[in-house]
Amino acid sequence: MSITLDFDSKQLDNKRPLQLHYLPVKIDGNGECANVDKFFNNYTRESTDYGPGMLTNSLRGYPLVGKRESVPKGFKGVVLQETDPHQEQRQLRLTGTFEKFTYWNYDKVPSKGDAYQQALILLDVADALASPVSEEQLEEELKRYQQAKKENT
Amino acid sequence: MEDIEIKQENDSIIETKPKIEQEEDHVDIDKISSLKALGPFIAARENSKNTVYLSDVPAICKDQPCMLGVDEAGRGPVLGPMVYGISYCPLNSKEALVELGCADSKQLTEEKRDIIFNDMNTLEYANSCIGWAVEIISPNVISNSMYRRSKCSLNEVSMDSAMGLIQRAIDAGVNIAEVYVDTVGPPEKYQEKLLKRFPNFKITVAKKADSTYPIVSAASICAKVTRDHALKVWQFPEGLVIKDNAFGSGYPGDPVTKRFLTENIDLVFGFPRLVRFSWSTAENALADKAYEMEFDEPDTEKPKYAGTKLTKFFKGTTKTGEVKREECRFFKQCHLDNVTDF
Repeated sequence: MSITLDFDSKQLDNKRPLQLHYLPVKIDGNGECANVDKFFNNYTRESTDYGPGMLTNSLRGYPLVGKRESVPKGFKGVVLQETDPHQEQRQLRLTGTFEKFTYWNYDKVPSKGDAYQQALILLDVADALASPVSEEQLEEELKRYQQAKKENT
Repeated sequence: MEDIEIKQENDSIIETKPKIEQEEDHVDIDKISSLKALGPFIAARENSKNTVYLSDVPAICKDQPCMLGVDEAGRGPVLGPMVYGISYCPLNSKEALVELGCADSKQLTEEKRDIIFNDMNTLEYANSCIGWAVEIISPNVISNSMYRRSKCSLNEVSMDSAMGLIQRAIDAGVNIAEVYVDTVGPPEKYQEKLLKRFPNFKITVAKKADSTYPIVSAASICAKVTRDHALKVWQFPEGLVIKDNAFGSGYPGDPVTKRFLTENIDLVFGFPRLVRFSWSTAENALADKAYEMEFDEPDTEKPKYAGTKLTKFFKGTTKTGEVKREECRFFKQCHLDNVTDF
């Protein structure tokens, strides 16, 4: 089974940016959501009570606190769509891209403690693990290691 | 059929209009000086937030000791705001209240309430000694309060509003001596809470105070008239247009309300925010007809730590000898997991 990403870099640059909301809720439904502007965006308010840049809204009566977020540096957000996931050769098409989105918590001010922010730590770890180590850095580390050994004995 | 009934109601309001000063051409949306000004005032405010209005304080209310009545309208309905109202006048101005017709507001028709409200604001003998205030508690705020992580019951919302209004009257200079409050719940607890906050007033909390004390009737009329108008001028940011805003009484048994609730469901967002999502009627309707939604549950789990269990060391393998590997703690803490499917 193979998956083809059916778009090129030109499309990535030219697609009009999407307006996205990261919601603290599992929605058991699939399909187009046409009323975001009227039922949701219409009600987004800035709320300085929670700090600068914080937003409030609610979903099905549940209070939300949100914040505008950027996609991590060096990354690009994409939304992909596929017509039939049961085919042998799966094909994903590009719906749109995004650099920013609105992150929402259920009645909690967005912070570094949120699962989303925690997961992003991996990007730093991956970066550290994958970046090349120079000769000098290696020697420095060795020296440090031997120094530590001496102090311990 | 129902549409026609509502129309007639509207007509009756228009009929009362000629009695109101007609010279006033431009409508002041920041001051409610007559019944006519009430609708435009409400319509100019955001209906997803609470709105408070205080009438001018009659000079006499600042000098002489006053009684103050508190009542609410629209507590039970699944639609629209709940309105809290207060009214006050000097202890010896009771005749003015009786003259206006403030007695047992439950017996009054909508038309009669409108007339009393208008008289209270326009006639000199009344507006020189009676002041009032209302808080329109948005259905959006009601839902939000009841669905907070630390739930805030409708009773708490109510008491906060009542005490907030009394405080505003104090801040505006009203010389309060006695307070009368209508309640549906147990009066004792409520009275205790009010006394704690306002120890200097003589406070009476009673069931059906509305029919016993004219000053509570006056507050009740202000609240009820405001709620009725709030529904009439309700504009849907959702873009819905309902003819004559005919959504019925808001009580779950009303067939017009029932129909409104079944016909206006968005699969994702549920209802427009006129609806109190936290009412079981609304919850049940959405459970049947809209996408299921599951929110992050409030963090109620307490960390259970009682030291390392002895049996931990025997749990490394399954019975067949397969080695079970625990996930790396870093990934667990970061909420990360392996995914092979896309």
